[in-house]
Formats: sequence, structure tokens, C-alpha cells
Amino acid sequence: MSGNGSVRLLSRHFGLPGQTHIETAMKRGAYEQFKRALKMKPEEVTALVKASGLRGHGGAGFSAGLKWSFVPKDVFPRYVTVNGDESEPGTCKDRLIFEYDPHLLIEGALICAWAVQAERVYIYIRGEYFYPARIMQTAIDEARAKGFIGDNILGSGWSCAVYLATGAGQYICGEETGLLESLEGKKGWPRLKPPFYPAAIGLWGKPTIVNNVETLAYVPRILEIGADKFLAMGTPKAGGPTLFSLSGCVKKPGVYELPTGVPLKTLIYEYGGGITENRKLKAVIPGGSSSHILTAEECEDLKLDFESVAAAGSMLGSAAVMVLDETISIPQLMVWMVRFYAHESCGQCTPCREGTGWLLRLATRIADGRGRKRDLDDLYELADNIDGKTVCALGAAVAWPTKSYIKKFRPEFEALIKQ
Amino acid sequence: MPKLEIDGKPVEVPAGTNLIEAAKRLNIEIPHYCFHPGLSVVGSCRMCQVEVELNGRKSLVIGCNTAAADGMKVIINSDVVERTRRSVLEFYLQNHPLDCPICDDAGECDLQNYYMRYGLHDSRVELDEKRHKHKVHDVGPTVVLDSERCILCSRCARFCREIAGVDELGIFSHGGESELMNVPGKLLENDYAGNVVDLCPVGALTDKDFRFKRRVWYLQRTPSVCMGCSRGCNIYVDWETERSYKNPQRRIQRLKPRFNRLVNEWWMCDRGRYSYHAVDAENRLRTLRTKSDTDPHTTLDQILERAAAKIKTAISKHGAKSVAVLGSAHSSNEDLFLLKKLFAEHLKVQSMDVTLGKEPKGKEDEILMKADLAPNRRGALEIGVGPWSDSTISGDDILSGALDGDYEVLIVVGHDITRGLSAKEQAKLDQNCDYILYLGTHDNATCALADDVISIAMWAEREASYTNFQGRVQKTQQPFPPLGEALCEWRVWNELGKKLGFTVPYLNVDDVFDAIGGSIASFKGLTWEGLGAEGKMLTGVAEPPYRKVQSAHPLAAY
Repeated sequence: MSGNGSVRLLSRHFGLPGQTHIETAMKRGAYEQFKRALKMKPEEVTALVKASGLRGHGGAGFSAGLKWSFVPKDVFPRYVTVNGDESEPGTCKDRLIFEYDPHLLIEGALICAWAVQAERVYIYIRGEYFYPARIMQTAIDEARAKGFIGDNILGSGWSCAVYLATGAGQYICGEETGLLESLEGKKGWPRLKPPFYPAAIGLWGKPTIVNNVETLAYVPRILEIGADKFLAMGTPKAGGPTLFSLSGCVKKPGVYELPTGVPLKTLIYEYGGGITENRKLKAVIPGGSSSHILTAEECEDLKLDFESVAAAGSMLGSAAVMVLDETISIPQLMVWMVRFYAHESCGQCTPCREGTGWLLRLATRIADGRGRKRDLDDLYELADNIDGKTVCALGAAVAWPTKSYIKKFRPEFEALIKQ
Repeated sequence: MPKLEIDGKPVEVPAGTNLIEAAKRLNIEIPHYCFHPGLSVVGSCRMCQVEVELNGRKSLVIGCNTAAADGMKVIINSDVVERTRRSVLEFYLQNHPLDCPICDDAGECDLQNYYMRYGLHDSRVELDEKRHKHKVHDVGPTVVLDSERCILCSRCARFCREIAGVDELGIFSHGGESELMNVPGKLLENDYAGNVVDLCPVGALTDKDFRFKRRVWYLQRTPSVCMGCSRGCNIYVDWETERSYKNPQRRIQRLKPRFNRLVNEWWMCDRGRYSYHAVDAENRLRTLRTKSDTDPHTTLDQILERAAAKIKTAISKHGAKSVAVLGSAHSSNEDLFLLKKLFAEHLKVQSMDVTLGKEPKGKEDEILMKADLAPNRRGALEIGVGPWSDSTISGDDILSGALDGDYEVLIVVGHDITRGLSAKEQAKLDQNCDYILYLGTHDNATCALADDVISIAMWAEREASYTNFQGRVQKTQQPFPPLGEALCEWRVWNELGKKLGFTVPYLNVDDVFDAIGGSIASFKGLTWEGLGAEGKMLTGVAEPPYRKVQSAHPLAAY
């Protein structure tokens, strides 16, 4: 959990006894902001969220308020979908929200639903999260019994239902259109883009806001502390704090709520307690397994916000920081990474379906010391042939790590290839 | 109407046209697998990627899901595009069995064709590490699946769902393990199952009727019209007669649908698809037959001489009412026209029809199939030989009249009039009718009953025109000559007419057709040449509306 000096905005009630029960949570202020929101005009809520600089915490970092304002006028029904299919290796923050403060998420989702005038909220949880799903279902039932969900909520004349949906354990269902397909009861195959925004054409072809769990959980807090104060807790372009999932070779891995833009070194050495056995830092994967790897030199003065990480040649993504020390073999890491993506490829489009398997064969061969001279170049070219040529971003998700590992740690690969 | 430039050539297309279709207008092919104009767009094969330049921005897009826009420059052969195309082909080949020498699709396989054209010839494909899947899987009674050859374009699954309206095929499992399979508990047994074989860009789905029979490059292709029902779907007859080491009896190897937006779009039903077996059936009539002569070498002239004499005698003794003609709605416009000219106009025969109440009926649906299995009943109506013509005597009346001895001479085309008659009734018919002339294609009980039998050519052995139920006149072409002594029906009437003092000046089918145009009001203005490949509507008959092709995804506005 959070170390000294960390922000405790979203995670304020994490770990407090009884927080998953509505009575206790309400004593600590749950649903107060929802009640306030209901007294505001929906556009005012959207404007407030826009002003707060809240950006998506699922990976793409898209402005939440902007997304909400994309909903076309006069098209009903509308839906809100909470993306809780947290499956990117390294990311483990949404789970804590489900387990520690489910009512915060429901409140945030309801405020969003009010802001876009949606009639239904779907909370989509990844298939493997059995325990969090149980907690969420209980929480939804409690909120319904209290009248926060249902017809004519708190006398506002507005009705909204909340449903829990679980996936069947597929990484691809975290891709927002794959998630929508899965919700519709189909195979979780991402949709063709364009149309780019589910906010215009989403679930069953209707306007749908798809937001990450963490993003929506911040919404009640924005109403509570105000947009300006929230914006001040981050960078001018990304307001508020971020839940950093710190993993890998650190002494104290975990989820830390810190202001967006915190220096990487602070995260690793101050909160993470430094590298395991005080070894040397070799590299960092800053935004989940699909982001470009950054070498120790590149991380020297890195600040963890979208723009700084992008400027360093990677992405903040879901803020899952994976720390690699000098004992880690990059070729072996690549095998692990590619195996994940080869297993999780949905099989819809050719480059990813056929390419990931081929990448895995080549990567394994190299890591096992059976590599041929040309394999490394082939590997790079294959990754490049997948990159940007697929239906969804998963193609890039496997291509980026592959390409960056080879580009930045080429000698390591070459050493494994017999001359 | 957006104006754009494809490969440097300007073109103007209707709004909403995608780049593949727009390029097609310029006769430029953007290679693709999963896209089909009759199905929804899924954009999964990634083969149709092209570079698009608009407002100074250049990007790689898929041609199937990108709508043509004003000022767009589409580059189909840049280095980037070529490399992308090559890499997609390479991905496909990674797990493809490369069994082209024994694959039925070789020669018309898009994977083979595109790889030869765009592929990487210095191959990196690793032969020892291929993925293995189901090899010979019966997806249904008529189609076999080789899963390893499948490139998962999902055309077949989409066809079943979107056109045939059934859920019979789907892609199961995920990632590299993805596999086309039957939906659990279902077989591919809809009435349009054969189309999935046409749609399959590779040799994954093969037709049990055709597989291992002929290499496709030996086939010759003739455009024609399906005779399976009154819709008249446009087809190709794929035939081959020279390599007879296998199935020496079989001249037609398969039928394939031919695109006609107003009749059958890209499809045909299985009933029509496999109907060609009748053309090469063993019970085809190959020779003339006669009962009244023991000489086996009867000539057409002898038969016609006899028939003419019988008709003349009957008419002179009992008048024209003693002659009855039972024509066929399977006959072409030309056949029926001459039939009418000779019997109704020249000989003043009143008892004439093409319809029998007991004619078999087929299944009818909303897609293509019609219950009326005769391809030209509308033609018979328009020409005036049909059940709705001036003739007051129906086909059933003719038959019961013949049983009662009302007719001296009975001429039957195609119908098996013995169907439904007891042996006693057949004997009565034989006794009561002085002379029965039968013109038919297949051996049946009527052949045995008739005094003389003339074998006539089937649709695939002749040129002719037919009028479908909508009123569209379409022509067939002749791939190969008729079997044995068979000849076209209208020539029989032509020859018989000469013996009855009725001289008709027609030498060829186009003469006859043009004569129809000159004398039948609804055919006015139609000429044999003018029918073209897609046929023409009868005069005064409106074209049927286009059927809208549904797309699951709205087209991209780039």
C-alpha cells in the first residue's frame, strides 16, 4: 500500500474495516458526491470533469471529460461501461478498487451515467477476478436497496440500472470494442475502426462511454475537492494522482497513489525501497508490458506523466512500472512477453494471429541459444510487419516491446546467437 | 460523388463506395480475401491495405473499410504497400500446408495467385514448424473442410449468417488456434451451402461433387442460365470433354453462379448447382425410337413423315380438334414460338398447353428458390402457349380427353404423362390415341408408350432464350453439341412444318428470336444480340428493385 508522503485521494479508504459495506462506506462519505451531482446539470458535471484534467487510466490516457462530451445529442439509449478487464501484465490497480472500495467505483460510474444521461451501467470484470466480482455484486445489490440504482433515483426522475458482467478470461476483452462485443454476447473480437469512438457508436450501436475503473473512481473525488485542486495534484495536462502498479525487481512492489508526474527514481527508491539486493538498475518498462522498454540511462530524470514518458520514447499506459535489474535477461524476457501476446491474440486478423506465433518461435529459438544469424533481423522485421497493420492495438502491443528490446539490447541477443 | 485518384487515374464514384470497389471501376484490382461485395465488411485479412494521401496526410488503410473521399489519392503499388502485402502473404503461408499439387483449388486459388504476383520469393517459411489442424472434416453433406488450408477470412460463416440466414459455421478458439468449424450440433446443410465453396478464396472448403475430378485449368467456361427453377439464376457452365480417363460420361464438371445484380446477385442454390447431373445422366435419350417400325435405323425424316401423315389424316377426318399438343415450360422461347406458329396458327389446333397439374413442385424461399421448377412458364404465357393463353383447354383436360379417346394424335414434349396413371389407364391411353409423338430428353415410361420418340437437346447443349418469373429474357450459350441424335426442339417443329406445308424461314436461333420480337407484343424491341450477358426485361415489365446488401459495420469516413 501507499508509503509515506504518498497522496491518499482515491485510496483514502483502502484497507479500512467495513469499507465494502454500504453503511460504513456512507458514514465515510460514499454517495454524497453522487447526490450533489444529481442536483447539478449533466453538462455541468461533464464540464467539471473536463476542467479537472482527468485522463483515462486504462492505457491510452484520453481526456475523460472530452470523451463524455462526444456523446451525440438525441441518440438514446446510452450506456456506461466500466472497463475492469485489467489484464495487462504488470497492472494490478483496478483490483484494489474492486476489493477495497467498490462503492467509490459505483458512485463514479453513476455520476458518469448522470453526466451522459445513460440508462444502464455495465461493470465488466475480467473472468479471473472471482473474488472482486463477488464483492462488486454485493455492493451493487446494496446500492440498489438504498435507492442509488433503479427507477427515479433519489427523486430525480432519472432511472439507471447497474449490471455486473464477467469476461471469460481474455486479454483482448480489455480492448474497448472487444469488451463491447463480449458484452453483447459475442466473441471478444475488437471492432473495425473507424468508427473510432464508442461514445458515438458503441454497445448495440448506441452511444457508450467506456472508462477504466480507476478513471471513474476518481470522479467522486473531483466533485469533492473541485476541479482546480484536482488538476493541481497532477501535471497541467493530466490532473490528479495516478495509481502506480510497481512490480519487478524492487524491494517493496505494490500499488502507490502518487501525483502524476512523480519522478521514476522517487517511485523506485523512495516508495519501492530500491532495487532488490541493491543491484544495479538495468531497464524499466514504464506503462505495462506493451510499452517500449527504457534503459537505465533513459530513466535517469524521467518523470511519470504521459508527455514525459512519451518524450522518452515510451508510454505511461496503465502506469504499471516494471523494474528490471542487471540480472534480467532481455531475450528471456522477450520470450515471456511474446508468449503472453501469442496466447492472447484473438485470432481475428492475420498479422497478429500468424505473426505472434512466429515471433514466439524465433524468440524462443534465440533465447535457447539455437538462433541463426538472420533470426534477429527477421524478428525485428516481423514485429514491424505486425505494428500498425492490425484491427486493434494488440498488434502494436506485441511489436513495440519486441522492437524496443532488440533495438536497445541488441548485443545481448547477438551474444546468444551462435556465430 | 467523390472524385479521387487511384494509381494516378481519376475516377468518380458514388458516395459510400469503398476503395476496392472504386478501383474495380478502373479495372484495377486491390488484392483482398475477406472482403466480398455481397457480405459485411470485417477487415480481418489485412490484404487490401493501400496508402491513402488526403490533405497532405499519408497513411496506410484497408481498402475495404475506407470510403472514397473527394481529393483522395490512393497509392496501390508503393514500397510500403508492396511490403505490407508481401508480409501478409508471408504470414498466411507460415501455417499453410502448401499442398497445391493435390489441392482442388490450385489454379483458382487467391493465395496462390497473389503469392505468385506479390509474394516474397526468397521464402522464410519454416516447413517443420507448421501448426496442425483438422484435415478432412465433413462440415455438411456436400462440403469438405481442410482446416489447415483455411485462412480464416470468415466469408463462409458470414454467408451462412447474412445470406442463407442460418448459423452453421463459425470461427472457434482463439489466436493461432482459431479454426473454422460447424456451430456445435449443426451441419452445413442449408439450401445454399455450395456458395461457401465459391466464396472460399483458398482450397479449405471443397465441393464433394467436384473435388478430385478435374484440374481447374482444364475447364472451359460458358455463360449460361440455370434451369433449376423459374428464377433463372445466371451461371457459368464449367465443362471439359477431352480428358475422359475419369468420369467419361461427364461433360459438365460443375456449375458456378454468375453475377447478376437483378436476378441472383453472386449466389445460386444447391438445387440448381447440382441439377446439371441430368445433362449427362445415363438415362438420357441418345437415339430416335419408334414402335411402329421394326427397323432400328429409323431416321428423323421417317418419323416426321409418319407424324405429318397422322396429323393430316386426323385433321381431314375429324378436324383440328382431334389433335392435342402438350408442350413444356422447360422449352425455350424459340421452341414455344414455333410450336405455337405451327400448331395453333397453321393447323388451328385448339388443345394446347404446357402445364400439367401433377408437375412436381419445389421448395420456395425468400432468397432465390422458386416453387415452379420450370424455367420458362412466363415465356409460355407471353408467347401464348401457356395455361393462361387463349386456349380454353388445360393440360389436365388434354390428358383426360386423351384417355377418353377425344384425340387421334397426341404430341407431348418433356412431360412424363404416365406419372400417376395406372397400368390400366396407360393401356387405355395407348388404345384410344391413334398416334403419340413424344419429344423428350430422358428415358421414361412415356417413351415406351409413345409411337415415336424424338430425343431433344438439353439446355446445356444448345443456344436458347428463357423468360424467368420476373419477365427477364435471358439467353444460354452452347458449350458442346447434343448427345447422340438429339436436336433442338424448334428444329423439329421447323422440319415437321415443312412436311405439313408450313415453311418457316428460320436458320438459326437468333432468326427465331428476332421473329418473336417482331410478332409478340411483350418481346417487342428485343433482339438476340441485345439480350447480352445479363438479359433484358420484357417490354412494359419493370425491373425488380435492387436488394440492399447489409453491412455490419458502417463504412469509414476517412
